[in-house]
Amino acid sequence: MSTIEQQLWDYIDGNLDANQAKIIQEKIDNDADINLQYEELLSLNLAFQELDLEEPSMSFTRNVMDSVKLEPAPIALKTKVNTNIIYGIGGFFVASILALVGYVLYHSKLQFSNFNSRINLNIDWNTLISPMAIYGFLFIDLVIGLVFLDYLLRKKLAHK
Amino acid sequence: MEQTNTDLMLIEGILCGQTEQYSILVKRHQRFVFTLALRFSKNREDAEEIAQDCFIKAYKALGTFKQTSKFSTWLYTITYTTAMTFLRKKRLDTLSINDDETFIQLENHTSGFMANGYEKKDSYKFLNEAITQLSADDAAIITLFYQGEQSLEEIGTTLGMAPNTVKVKVHRARQRLKEKLQYLLKDEVKELL
Repeated sequence: MSTIEQQLWDYIDGNLDANQAKIIQEKIDNDADINLQYEELLSLNLAFQELDLEEPSMSFTRNVMDSVKLEPAPIALKTKVNTNIIYGIGGFFVASILALVGYVLYHSKLQFSNFNSRINLNIDWNTLISPMAIYGFLFIDLVIGLVFLDYLLRKKLAHK
Repeated sequence: MEQTNTDLMLIEGILCGQTEQYSILVKRHQRFVFTLALRFSKNREDAEEIAQDCFIKAYKALGTFKQTSKFSTWLYTITYTTAMTFLRKKRLDTLSINDDETFIQLENHTSGFMANGYEKKDSYKFLNEAITQLSADDAAIITLFYQGEQSLEEIGTTLGMAPNTVKVKVHRARQRLKEKLQYLLKDEVKELL
């Protein structure tokens, strides 16, 4: 493509800045050949713009809607990812870790009065892992499991 | 009511369960999606199949539509990828496009354009024929630029190209279209346009 033709297309498309447009306008005004080329391109551009869109068959929308009805209803991505569940699980783990650290520190007989004192980390695990603690842990797991199951069932129901 | 609802308002309604509103979106965009599909397939039956597939894909993925761009741009991206996949499959099936059949397809098509007289109608017929003779990429870029009213940036998003590359491609496609028209119309090109 010749440079002048490219410049003329840019001029027609409005891609040139004011200064460049002024230069091209002067060329169109002063040069008969360029003027003729510009008129031709302008006519072509107008013809391209006036091209009509094709029309699909009359039953097109109905066919699409019939197919769409067989698909599950779309759901916004933000509702698909329930942040409450994420925060709930995260919160449980943070609380568990904090509780464990607190319990360990409470039983470690740590004294701040003397810097030279040694931290007693001889924890009696037999007293910590009591049947009560295991039952508590399993109970919380069960609750989380039920919440997750409820979430899945609700999601399935919404898709129907 | 239908006229005032924007695409984004309709999408919000669909995502809230008013799925029947999708038909408004389909009616609004079907002509362009079909035209774009036709530029690739060069056959009305295949174009209709591609266009239907596009709208079903768009419906399924509507929840993932990020409302940072226009719905039309997103839909045209789906159309482009679906049509490209279709073309690849078609090439694998080694089906060639018969030019005579393409011409018949154009003849059969009943465009709404009739009002401006015989000569103008003829010029559109030749223009359409010239477009069908372009490569799928050139025809798609011309369609997106002129009929899709898409900016260079939006076409770039649809085709996965930089706006400057799109600009160069539009220039080249127009040049090739002009050459095809000149070949079809010989010296009559200026008279008809």
